[in-house]
Amino acid sequence: MVKQIIVASGLSLVGCAGAQIAPEKFEESQASIRGAEEVGANDVPAAKLHLQLAKDQTEKAKKMSAAGDPAAELMLARARSDAELAVVLSREDSIRQEAVKATEDLKTLQDRGNP
Amino acid sequence: MSSHVLNRCFVGWVGMSWIAGCAAVPPKELLDARKQYEVSSTGPSAKLTPTELYEAKKSLTKADEEFDANGDTQAVRDYAYIAGRKISLADAKARTEADRQKATAAAKEGVGFRDAQVKSTQTALDSSRQEVQDLQRQNQANSQELETEKRGRMSAEGKLAGAIKDLADVAAVKEEARGVVITLSGGVLFASSKDVLLRTAQTKLDQVAEALKAESEDKGIVVEGHTDSRGAETTNQELSLRRATVVRDYLVSRGVSSSKITSKGLGEGRPLVDNNTAENRANNRRVEIVVAAAP
Repeated sequence: MVKQIIVASGLSLVGCAGAQIAPEKFEESQASIRGAEEVGANDVPAAKLHLQLAKDQTEKAKKMSAAGDPAAELMLARARSDAELAVVLSREDSIRQEAVKATEDLKTLQDRGNP
Repeated sequence: MSSHVLNRCFVGWVGMSWIAGCAAVPPKELLDARKQYEVSSTGPSAKLTPTELYEAKKSLTKADEEFDANGDTQAVRDYAYIAGRKISLADAKARTEADRQKATAAAKEGVGFRDAQVKSTQTALDSSRQEVQDLQRQNQANSQELETEKRGRMSAEGKLAGAIKDLADVAAVKEEARGVVITLSGGVLFASSKDVLLRTAQTKLDQVAEALKAESEDKGIVVEGHTDSRGAETTNQELSLRRATVVRDYLVSRGVSSSKITSKGLGEGRPLVDNNTAENRANNRRVEIVVAAAP
């Protein structure tokens, strides 16, 4: 049993040493954030909120990672999920506007065609 | 510390942890995520974005497993948070897909509507074009008809003019406001005070009849009888009418349409010249055939 405890402690130390997140993972998160910005997340209120959350959580994850906090990984995952949601919300807004316009165009066409 | 004691402590710690885990209340994030998933899995996302919903479910399962294993930890909240975001993402994508389908349907309907309009306009255009062609054909036919009629009229007028010119040898022909007036001397047509045509008169009247038949138009023809002033006026009136009628009947017998020729006696009332000399009186004794001017 003593051996087990020693092994467990060793693993725990290894865990602490491995809490640093690989830079590529941050890069992935940053790419998601840039993607959201490019599709106009800043112009859609709901998307803008999640974009901001993604940014804040990425920064938080960086600090946690630097401090060797193992929860940094999940914080970064949260950031990524917000960034991805921001992208989808931005696209949703754009498609909704297209749908509204298409419906209005059709109505105008029908009204003009049937005086 | 013996291994037996250590084993007991470890078992005791695990047991306490299990009891603590069972007693722990799920965090709000987890409860919210479960509720959110329940709603989405029975909504449009289940049909339109099942893959995204499945990814969300995996995060929710992780949160549940973490909670079952360790109770309310930050990891449970993180997984629940991520699950919530993924569910929102699945819902947003489902709404987007629905909007896209709506836009596509509207665009398709618009195209169909425009096609129908184009077809309707084309049909109307074809109909108008056909109408125009029919009118053009009709106009062309009318023009040809008019041209034929014009030629016919010119031909008839030419024949009449020729016939009238020929008449100049046997009668005086004048163009007056009331029409063409063919004047035949009474002395040439009748014996004095008689209303029977002389044989020589018939030859002349044959020529007149031919000229009148050449007149194809439905113009009225009046045969007027005139006398000089000798004798009683009533007698002259009657004689002039009888002579006019004899001439009229003869012309009809030679083919002039009876429906367009009439006769009347004007007696001594319209002399050409004074009745003071024998020559003048001879001129006043006459029959005039008036072919009415075209209306």
